[in-house]
Amino acid sequence: MLLLKTYRASFIFRVHPFCGDLAFAAASCGRVFLSFSSQAFYSVPAIFGVSFGIRKLYMKTLLKIFAWATLRMERGAKEKNHQLYKPYTNGIIAKDPTSLEEEIKEIRRSGSSKALDNTPEFELSDIFYFCRKGMETIMDDEVTKRFSAEELESWNLLSRTNYNFQYISLRLTVLWGLGVLIRYCFLLPLRIALAFTGISLLVVGTTVVGYLPNGRFKEFMSKHVHLMCYRICVRALTAIITYHDRENRPRNGGICVANHTSPIDVIILASDGYYAMVGQVHGGLMGVIQRAMVKACPHVWFERSEVKDRHLVAKRLTEHVQDKSKLPILIFPEGTCINNTSVMMFKKGSFEIGATVYPVAIKYDPQFGDAFWNSSKYGMVTYLLRMMTSWAIVCSVWYLPPMTREADEDAVQFANRVKSAIARQGGLVDLLWDGGLKREKVKDTFKEEQQKLYSKMIVGNHEDRSRS
Amino acid sequence: MGAAHSASEEVRELEGKTGFSSDQIEQLHRRFKQLSGDQPTIRKENFNNVPDLELNPIRSKIVRAFFDNRNLRKGPSGLADEINFEDFLTIMSYFRPIDTSMDEEQVELSRKEKLRFLFHMYDSDSDGRITLEEYRNVVEELLSGNPHIEKESARSIADGAMMEAASVCMGQMEPDQVYEGITFEDFLKIWQGIDIETKMHVRFLNMETMALCH
Repeated sequence: MLLLKTYRASFIFRVHPFCGDLAFAAASCGRVFLSFSSQAFYSVPAIFGVSFGIRKLYMKTLLKIFAWATLRMERGAKEKNHQLYKPYTNGIIAKDPTSLEEEIKEIRRSGSSKALDNTPEFELSDIFYFCRKGMETIMDDEVTKRFSAEELESWNLLSRTNYNFQYISLRLTVLWGLGVLIRYCFLLPLRIALAFTGISLLVVGTTVVGYLPNGRFKEFMSKHVHLMCYRICVRALTAIITYHDRENRPRNGGICVANHTSPIDVIILASDGYYAMVGQVHGGLMGVIQRAMVKACPHVWFERSEVKDRHLVAKRLTEHVQDKSKLPILIFPEGTCINNTSVMMFKKGSFEIGATVYPVAIKYDPQFGDAFWNSSKYGMVTYLLRMMTSWAIVCSVWYLPPMTREADEDAVQFANRVKSAIARQGGLVDLLWDGGLKREKVKDTFKEEQQKLYSKMIVGNHEDRSRS
Repeated sequence: MGAAHSASEEVRELEGKTGFSSDQIEQLHRRFKQLSGDQPTIRKENFNNVPDLELNPIRSKIVRAFFDNRNLRKGPSGLADEINFEDFLTIMSYFRPIDTSMDEEQVELSRKEKLRFLFHMYDSDSDGRITLEEYRNVVEELLSGNPHIEKESARSIADGAMMEAASVCMGQMEPDQVYEGITFEDFLKIWQGIDIETKMHVRFLNMETMALCH
């Protein structure tokens, strides 16, 4: 990295004496040449799956710089005698872990000075519990927190994650400016060129492989074309991925299930294993890619009309899974992008099929670039641009041991079991809530739970009394 | 965050009026902005964005309490259409924990304020009395989620509780004496000597200790 930087700097310096169009043309040629040569530098290892460890060094250097930057900001804030804005991801309220029954009993006990055998059926004080709970949720609730990007405690030189602008000194501003220059003028064109190469190679490669006769050679070529192109895309994003427990990688005839944070999840998983994708048929560039991919090996693409029909979807997935020669399917059961601090409810469809499930946990490190796609805030293109102008995408992938549905479990319980395993491994919070809450309201069935519990308590007392 | 000076002045003013610390005010301000969608005021509809609140059986009464003019100290009755941040903090201040540094008089005052807040929740027509109808209304709402309880049983439960309250407040009643309803003084009488302070507050996490542990 450093070598390339100095090369570029000296090149432009030499061009400087020549003025006008010549300089501009030379500089842009130089840039293109440079990006191609560095592309070769990147792509060749990608083809063979080898890494030089340069990205790890890059990561370490960046971390040191971030720590320094945060220290400067804190010093700046102290000088001005202000409080730094500190994000609290654990919430601001100490919530009581006691249950409804315990609390109400306690309130009544402390309240009632009357004889205890005369247990009253309803007291004015019962309203305390619900009132307080209501206030607590208004102040701070678990769910809406999950749908906005995670907040950082140290600054990573990206203005989009900084809320303490007024505490930046001159030195920090210069550093930040340098960071912007590097990210937008150097890293971005490089990455875009790489991404372009990767995608075009994928389309061309899979189309060519599609013409080969069916057989082992075709499969071999198809697998390696896919892997190579995904690896190039991974380098296009400067994604530094650590894979754990690779012996548990999904096998043919299984379903691979993972938590969903962004569309990049697909690239990350597919660059380490050979999967069959599931999804809707799109138009435009995505459609071209999809049609090309399906020529080389069988993916499962659904027409828009077919997506609504759950039985049809289940049938096609079952057929695919039962054919042992076909690849494992990659599915994201949450159904939407969550901000990677928790795992939300898994939709039960993929768990009803009855195949072996290989859970995978993906956890991003938000210090280098936040990978969460807030689809209500950013469109796909804006999102990709943000990804490509971050420092890097650092994440860990854990392959968990395979799970199958047990005899006495139904699909929902199985889904929850898998979800807990993923949440536990990735260090994420396991929530019961539905990812669909990003866009819709709470289902009525949930509303009634608390009320049923409370009323059971009251009516229980009533019945006891009438019996005695 | 705008000009640092005027913001901190405002914060100090709010600190004095509501008793929250500046850290807590900042946190609540962020929450306010989240609920209002970056608007300067909140309306009733904004509370629909809190999914956990849907589970609460007295949800509508809680939301109503935010807009109640009596709680906002803006009048003897009626509902406001929208509230700003200061009003939001005023309502939240009813749930502040009892400060150990407060003297007896302040503790008594704070307790009275909390009980008054609850009283307003029951007394929906602002006539200063909790009538049998209003009491029934609260019990029905609390039990509304359960389809197995009929309206009749909910009513009888409310009636029984009301009779008990009447006996506490009025002692033995003549057969033709009508009990108008629970006034605020009677309400206070019911709670005399009973510790409600620990149940009617929300505890904020200590901000300083959290800042130190990264």
